[in-house]
Amino acid sequence: MQHIAYISRAVRPLTDEDLHELLTQCRRDNKRHHITGVLFYSHGNIAQLFEGESEAIDPLFGRILRDGRHSHVQKLIDKPIAARSFADWSMAFHPLEPEAFEALQGFLLPHHVPAPPSTLTIADAMLIDLVRLAVFGGATPPQAPAPTAGLDQA
Amino acid sequence: MREHSEQTILRHVPAGVATLQGPELCYGFVNEAMEAVLGGPAPEGVPIAKHPGFLAADLLDVMQRVYQSGRPFIAKAYCLALPGPDSPNRYYDLTLEPFREASEVISGLLLFAVDVTAQEEARQQAHRLEVETRRLDTRLRVLTETVPQITFTVDAKGHYDYVSPQWYYFTGQPPTAAVDAIWPLLIHPDDRLRVLYQAEAARAAGAGWSYEYRLRRHDGQYRWLLSRALPEQLHTPGEPVFWHGALTEIHDQRELTEALRRGEAELRFLADSIPELIWTASAEGFIDYYNRHTSEYTGLTQEELGPTGWVNLLAPKEQAEAARQWVHSMATGEAFEGVFRMRRHDGQYRWHIIRARQLADGQGLRWFGACTDVDDQHRLREVLQTQYNELARTNHDLDTFVYTASHDLRQPLINLRGLFEELARVASFDDPQASSMLQMVEDALAQLELTIQDLAATVQDQRGLSAPAERLDLRSITDEILLGLRMQFVQAGATLEFDLEGAPTLHYGRANLRSILHNLLSNALKFAHPERPAHIRVRSYLQDGQPVLSVQDNGLGMVVPSPNSPGFRPFTRQHTHVPGAGVGMYLVQRILTSRGGHLEVASTLNEGTTFTVHWTAAQPGE
Repeated sequence: MQHIAYISRAVRPLTDEDLHELLTQCRRDNKRHHITGVLFYSHGNIAQLFEGESEAIDPLFGRILRDGRHSHVQKLIDKPIAARSFADWSMAFHPLEPEAFEALQGFLLPHHVPAPPSTLTIADAMLIDLVRLAVFGGATPPQAPAPTAGLDQA
Repeated sequence: MREHSEQTILRHVPAGVATLQGPELCYGFVNEAMEAVLGGPAPEGVPIAKHPGFLAADLLDVMQRVYQSGRPFIAKAYCLALPGPDSPNRYYDLTLEPFREASEVISGLLLFAVDVTAQEEARQQAHRLEVETRRLDTRLRVLTETVPQITFTVDAKGHYDYVSPQWYYFTGQPPTAAVDAIWPLLIHPDDRLRVLYQAEAARAAGAGWSYEYRLRRHDGQYRWLLSRALPEQLHTPGEPVFWHGALTEIHDQRELTEALRRGEAELRFLADSIPELIWTASAEGFIDYYNRHTSEYTGLTQEELGPTGWVNLLAPKEQAEAARQWVHSMATGEAFEGVFRMRRHDGQYRWHIIRARQLADGQGLRWFGACTDVDDQHRLREVLQTQYNELARTNHDLDTFVYTASHDLRQPLINLRGLFEELARVASFDDPQASSMLQMVEDALAQLELTIQDLAATVQDQRGLSAPAERLDLRSITDEILLGLRMQFVQAGATLEFDLEGAPTLHYGRANLRSILHNLLSNALKFAHPERPAHIRVRSYLQDGQPVLSVQDNGLGMVVPSPNSPGFRPFTRQHTHVPGAGVGMYLVQRILTSRGGHLEVASTLNEGTTFTVHWTAAQPGE
């Protein structure tokens, strides 16, 4: 198991359609590769933490680096972990028309993003708090801690 | 037949052909092309002047002259204005050729018209282009001579085809200077060979170049310039290739960059030399630099620590709070400060003050932090705190003991006195010294009682040492005390003199002020000279802006070891014949010292004593 976190800048602002496409595409691909995590997007700022088996994680980051939709990819952490902390893969952003997204699996409004799972180390949880702050600014206080991945129940 | 076929050929040739006959220049043979030029069929035998078609009068005039002179004439690119608003002008080369009959007399004109409209339009277009080119050229020249850069054109061999006037302004060379020869000489000797090589290599490769070098300015100073040039793209094969380029002065930017780089290197060196943990973080709160001491202390590299790994170094119980505080600082921009235990490479946790502040400058927002090892201080403080607590407790116990002891001793003393009085009343003694003995016992008992009372008072007053200060009226406090000393006052036949105008009030603890005044006044009464009535003078005034109280008597006086440090110790007594426990002045001194003041005493034996109370600490510089 391994996880990677990075921040980056979108080459151009993402429209609702772009975000919709990104969400469905990532949900589909990540499900196939058993990748879980969370992606934040706001005003061209992108941050993502994803976790999974190393055989899936490294090629995914390679694809992310080559993705023409963003640039200035700055890897923050890349290290082995004992277990998953996220139950699935989700994405948090402010769509222009939130109604169109509410029903979508894996979509979160930024102020509904749960606090980092307690299974993360404090350093990693702080990193997620910091990237969320960097992407969304200080207006979205974290929610109560999220339930842990609970893979044993899945 | 043959003539007919020739006529047919002539009729259809694309050039206009016509014969004009006789001095009247009447139309003879006119082919189709010429009919088009004339704008319709030309009736044979009609003079051309009568039916000129599109031909203008000036041409008819020239025809007459050619006919008369017999010299042929070609009107080149003659413009025929065709009727109709949209008809374009047509251009013809019109050849007027006189023809002669056998008699050598001119009998008419041959007229040829070749349509040269296309050529003429091309020529006019070329002219317009030339004008436009000249305009662009002028614009380019103005621009190249106006921009602050030096512009140049150089050929493949390194010969300068063009150098803008700025080169002459910059170098101070005369306009007649041989640029090719002088330019390399003006390059800084340290850069010269490199520049010449790079330029030649680029020209040989047919590539552009961009390099920096120092060029000598007119004032002799070498200035950094950026030289950039590109080869001409649209050159005709076989013709010499040119490179066009510009020189930009980048001296100031380069110096600034150099200064910044040096400053950064110096700062980094400084940070690496300090035996403290120094680090910087991005605006988002990710640590991007740890100094050398950090890796020495933690035993971890920057990669191992990572952007948030420092939290892992803290004591596990403190991590969550430190993380919360750090995120809060990032969200609000507030400085980060806390005392945390940080793990050393050997596993030992040492106390550190972690501080970080944000700096917003031209390069954006950044955080600068330091972790100061305060472990030794922290441990020392803990030891001192423990010792202080012990001392305070011991002191308190001692006070309690003294108070309790004095209190507990009172009852047996009262009993003792009662018993003694009873004994004196009922018992009779044969000894003639009995009465004086009895008196001595009684005196000793009174002395003991006083001592015990004073001991109790000492403890009580010490407990009031930290009473809150308030604004107090000296006169009214003094009056209260004199009420209590009324008996002694009367006994000593004392008179009092007040002079409180200088400082009538005082900011002090009430119980303390009472205690001090009580001791000073009762002392003055106690040590009154037996041969004269006591006269006490109380003054309150400002000395160097600080309140001072003096109590002067005309009593017994005493020996003062040193006027500034009287050094009163408890239970030390100057006049053993006067009853007292010897704790009074000790108490006064303790109160004063605890509030930053001090006591001065001046005394002459058998003349009197003056106690001067300085309530507050002397100002520095006095």
